[in-house]
Amino acid sequence: MSRPGWGAARWFARRLALSVLVLLGSATAAFIAVRLTPGDPVRVILGGTTATPQAVAQVRHDLGTDRPLVVQYGLFLGRLLHGDLGMSYQLQDTVGHVIGSQLWATVELAVTAFTLAFVVALLLAVSTAGRWPLLRRASTVVELVLSSSPSFWVGVTLLTVFSFHWHVFPAAGGNGPVGLVLPAVTLAAALVGVFAQVMRAGVERALEEPFVLSARARGSGESAVRFRHALRHALIPMVTLSGWVVGSLFSGAVVVETVFSRQGIGRVLATAIQGRDFPVVTGVVVVSTLLFVVVSLLVDWLYRVIDPRLKEAYA
Amino acid sequence: MLITTRPPAHRAPALLAALSLLAGVGLTACSSSSGSATGGAGAASSALTFAADSEPACVDPAVSPRDVTALIDRNIFDSLVNDAPGGTIKPWLAKSWTVSGDGKTYVFHLRTGVRFHDGTALDATAVKATLDHAVDPKTKSTYAAGLLSAYKSSTAVDASTVKVSLSRPDAALLQSLSTAFLGIQSAKALRRSAAQLCGAPIGSGPFEFVSWTKKQSMVLKQNPAYDWGPPSAQHTGPAHLKTLTIRFIEENTVRVGALNSGEVDVVGGLPAPNIKSLQKSSRIQVLSAQAPGGVYSLHFNPAPGGPLADKRVRTALLRSVDLTQLVKSVDFGAYDRAWSELGPRTPGYDASMQGSWPYDPALAGQLLDQAGWTQRDSAGYRVRNGKELTLRWPYVAAILREQRDVLGQGIVAQAKKVGIRINRVAVDVGTYSQDVFAGKAEIWDASNVRADPDILRTLFASDQTLDKGGLNVFRVKDPQIDAWLRAGATATDPAARAAEYVKVQRRLRDLALDMPVYVPTYYVGAAKKVHGLAFEAAAYPLFYDVSVGGA
Repeated sequence: MSRPGWGAARWFARRLALSVLVLLGSATAAFIAVRLTPGDPVRVILGGTTATPQAVAQVRHDLGTDRPLVVQYGLFLGRLLHGDLGMSYQLQDTVGHVIGSQLWATVELAVTAFTLAFVVALLLAVSTAGRWPLLRRASTVVELVLSSSPSFWVGVTLLTVFSFHWHVFPAAGGNGPVGLVLPAVTLAAALVGVFAQVMRAGVERALEEPFVLSARARGSGESAVRFRHALRHALIPMVTLSGWVVGSLFSGAVVVETVFSRQGIGRVLATAIQGRDFPVVTGVVVVSTLLFVVVSLLVDWLYRVIDPRLKEAYA
Repeated sequence: MLITTRPPAHRAPALLAALSLLAGVGLTACSSSSGSATGGAGAASSALTFAADSEPACVDPAVSPRDVTALIDRNIFDSLVNDAPGGTIKPWLAKSWTVSGDGKTYVFHLRTGVRFHDGTALDATAVKATLDHAVDPKTKSTYAAGLLSAYKSSTAVDASTVKVSLSRPDAALLQSLSTAFLGIQSAKALRRSAAQLCGAPIGSGPFEFVSWTKKQSMVLKQNPAYDWGPPSAQHTGPAHLKTLTIRFIEENTVRVGALNSGEVDVVGGLPAPNIKSLQKSSRIQVLSAQAPGGVYSLHFNPAPGGPLADKRVRTALLRSVDLTQLVKSVDFGAYDRAWSELGPRTPGYDASMQGSWPYDPALAGQLLDQAGWTQRDSAGYRVRNGKELTLRWPYVAAILREQRDVLGQGIVAQAKKVGIRINRVAVDVGTYSQDVFAGKAEIWDASNVRADPDILRTLFASDQTLDKGGLNVFRVKDPQIDAWLRAGATATDPAARAAEYVKVQRRLRDLALDMPVYVPTYYVGAAKKVHGLAFEAAAYPLFYDVSVGGA
């Protein structure tokens, strides 16, 4: 049955080619979006105030905005192919270095928040799926409230309680594991609701399947049925969510990093957009797309490993 | 991307394992990267943590126009001269100077024994290198070069004498040189790359740069050799603090919360709504300084053909708003209502302007009638020749501060009462600068901190339009204002200078070219154990004299 030859290679090559297209597309979209922003970017960068005409001319020349758009696009793509994201105007640093120095803080936050949300949602979903109507309903309400509360509000509320009054966690910029707690909880709060809803629906659907009946017939206890049989089944739709998860982790990071004054590319992006630091904006878009592409590639591959039927469907 | 089929359940453990593996990989990978901890902001009495409301992109003083840059750089860099309280210029790194009769040549005699943090000595070459660096187009200076707009060149006469030549007399030069933006840098350090200049500043100031963790904090340490503080300081010798940590916390709530919980010792940019409650706290003190320069004001577009071309309409607008009441209620009494385009702490401020143009809606109505805006439309706005009296006032929500959005609403509401419609439209930064550049607005609002009345030249001289690097947004061209501003920029006697700027302030009022609203004030919250916190001329807090004692 395991036949890792041509089928897998072809599948992989096709996915890889698609990924490159996605990357190119997002880079191009970011490039165009930035150029569509009204106003003279150079004036925006220089604050449009006391800048001297020489400074304006110099910046135009440096950014290459004095050249035709097609030439600019070509140069941008050429640099991108060499892995060069260009120079930030405002930070006097390469975009690659700016992002590189901030990326891990975001990954750390995102991974912790994801793990937290996953575990909490799993416990909520499995324990309340299809039973204890009152508890199930209460849990659903909490999940809905959590997923519809703005992260900004959740973050400030947590800070007020745990930092300003109880002094349990640092209010801002915590670097170590202690400083990670509140930001991770805030970011996870937005995910828990959705995760739990999806998992519970999966478990409930699974509980009606014949294999659960046969498990019960073999004398499995309720917990065993739920955790060993139904849960496995219910996790499959979670994989489908992976795209949405990566997306919301990154967009959520922008808010969470700002509220908690944390390092991270979300905050870099927010500052860059406000300051019209175009090379950084495009750079963050390219890098986060790359991460997104890698994660989906990985998940797709895992999916194929898990479900051999898909190999035939894709081959 | 993925297909939601129902795979056989027995494959699920692999998936679960894979997901946790995915999470695990990330966790191990990043635990090795979290070693970028900043120097511990402990409770040691010689360390202080200051929370700033924003992070500079670059701390090369010659590059950035940001106030947070000046605030940080003041600790790292010394200036040639010191702008002492009261606006008098005192010696600092220059122990004396002479000005030529035509006001175009300045000769500075430098203090000896001053050393930069890189060990090199202060000499004429360093001063020349600093000034040349500021005006070099490659530096892309967005502020310092503007301060030196009259600068032609400088020459090192000998090791401790530097001659600065100007293309025209500039009475504001000494004040410009006193700002942190023109802090003197080591000539050796200036030969480094732009990235190094931006990220690792080297001056001769009371604190040395140690490290900068982006988006987090910057650490400075005491310069033990420091023995050349400015005359306005309260002590001599090294700074009292051994370590000064600057944390970057943009969120107002979080910054104030961190002060309340004792996590930071001093916070800058206190928001007006928090001031009252902090003043009541038993362990927190609130300090403030009014910023000099152009107050927060609304500038009117007098372009011919526009609704504000008529002086009577501009005056009507000016008199239609009860600013005293509005500023008091909106800003919780944190800011003083302004009467002149110059703030009271600016040399040349005309105190007689106070109360000279009170709220008078009846007068506003009469003036509008005289100007021909006699009819009203169904919404109650005035109409002339079938055209409604509408003014466009664009703003960028992202950069609003100090309750300016609420103030704006108040002004719009009060103007409506006399029949003027103000369209306060939210636009993005790009559209904003485009509109303002094209004069596609009747109102432009701003405040401009500068400890010299020369800011009026930047705002109203006809040769200071935006395309020429000035801030005369609406291309005001008044021969009298131009003449007085030129006289003010060249007069060397302070009293004679002030007289010119008083004339300008009165003329601005007579022509109703702007509506001064409130005097921007820098508020700092500090734990009561923090002593000696003072403000420099531009109203930024100074840390040289600061000590932390008692709990």
